Amino acid sequence: MSPSKSSTKLPLQAPAMPSAATAAEVSSETSSGTPAPLPPALMNPDTIEIYKTLYDVLGRVYWEASDITSKDTIQGARDAIYEILTELNIAKLEANTALFLALKTKILDSNKALEEIKVKINTITKNISTASSVLAAIAKVASIAPALL
Amino acid sequence: MRERQPPRGLLLACLLLLSGCTLSPLARNTAQFSSATSSVVENTRNAYRAAVRLNEDAQYSLLVARYDTDHPLDPHSIRPLIDEKGLEVRTEVLDGLRVYAQTIADLSSGVSSPKLDEAAAACGANLRSLGDALSGATPVTLKISGTEANAASTALKALGDLLIKREIKESIPKIIRDMDPNVDTLTKLLSSDIDVLRDQAGRDYEQILAQQDQFIRHAGSSLPPVERRTEIQRLPQILADKKATEDMLRDLQASLQKLAVTHHALAAAATTRNDASLQARIADLRASAEGLADFYESLSKSK
Repeated sequence: MSPSKSSTKLPLQAPAMPSAATAAEVSSETSSGTPAPLPPALMNPDTIEIYKTLYDVLGRVYWEASDITSKDTIQGARDAIYEILTELNIAKLEANTALFLALKTKILDSNKALEEIKVKINTITKNISTASSVLAAIAKVASIAPALL
Repeated sequence: MRERQPPRGLLLACLLLLSGCTLSPLARNTAQFSSATSSVVENTRNAYRAAVRLNEDAQYSLLVARYDTDHPLDPHSIRPLIDEKGLEVRTEVLDGLRVYAQTIADLSSGVSSPKLDEAAAACGANLRSLGDALSGATPVTLKISGTEANAASTALKALGDLLIKREIKESIPKIIRDMDPNVDTLTKLLSSDIDVLRDQAGRDYEQILAQQDQFIRHAGSSLPPVERRTEIQRLPQILADKKATEDMLRDLQASLQKLAVTHHALAAAATTRNDASLQARIADLRASAEGLADFYESLSKSK
């Protein structure tokens, strides 16, 4: 297996994921900028697991190989699998981004409601301050009352 | 002039009735939740940064390894693991969660607000001034002693506390209950992200390890012995870093699960009216009474 060129973007679509990202639409762009479907083989989670296993197995073979030519060949194959799996992970994280965006609004709404409670609580304190100011004002008027009477 | 000392016990008993049922259990729970959230938020933020940087390192390593081959890596093709928009929205959501946790903790424990204390104290003092002014200016004798003014201030503080507690009691539990599914979704979503980061980080380290090994082998004798030794010694260090990162991400996932469970408990406690034991309620009531007594004492000392 020869290593693929990294500059070639993989035409990805979300595989079935056992995570929150399942519901999100995942796509990747081809060189023409239009979303392209995943190769059917990569839509199967089992296939992804096989790739992961293959990467690990090739890793063990790499460290067991004694000559540098074999090591280069094995690592070339690993690099290609690494790139495929990295693209899939980027796609999963992008799918999660959409879900985070949806959740952001809900969390901000809760914080807005909490801010409103803060305002109400401040109003209670403010009302007591106002009562205090009124008392002070009445006291002031009363102190000058003899001069007015 | 008529001055009389109101019985202290009677005064405090009245204040206890006025202040009503304390929300200290809610305050304690929300404070704990806020503290845990702050830690998880910071750790998660660091995990994202570390994972993105690690993936960059792995890709740069690949770029170097392929540089002189017949299939070199185009630097333009290097993509971040999470793009700027993705990191930004995650940061905003994490900040939102932290603000939420901090605000419910502040509101739940913010009964003894310095501003309220100040306003209540000023009210008592002004009441006394009013009595003096009226007594001096009119035939009405309304002499208010320092003790009575302090008692009025304390009563006003208790009234303020009561109104604030009522506001909190009516509003906060509902917000916590409404927020519970969102916290649940958020922690699951973060955990889903961490699954991906763990998976990716493992291979990123393996790539860096293999590229380092290839670099040493291809360099052969062109590397001076000491430098070669240093480069070889980096290999086990890369594996140690891999393990440390894996442990950190695994612990973070566990913390996220705990966070969700803690918030569930918080929501459940906020829903259940009789969640606290009688002893706990009595203790809270006593704490509330002591708070008011302290306030009363502080006024007496300042006169």
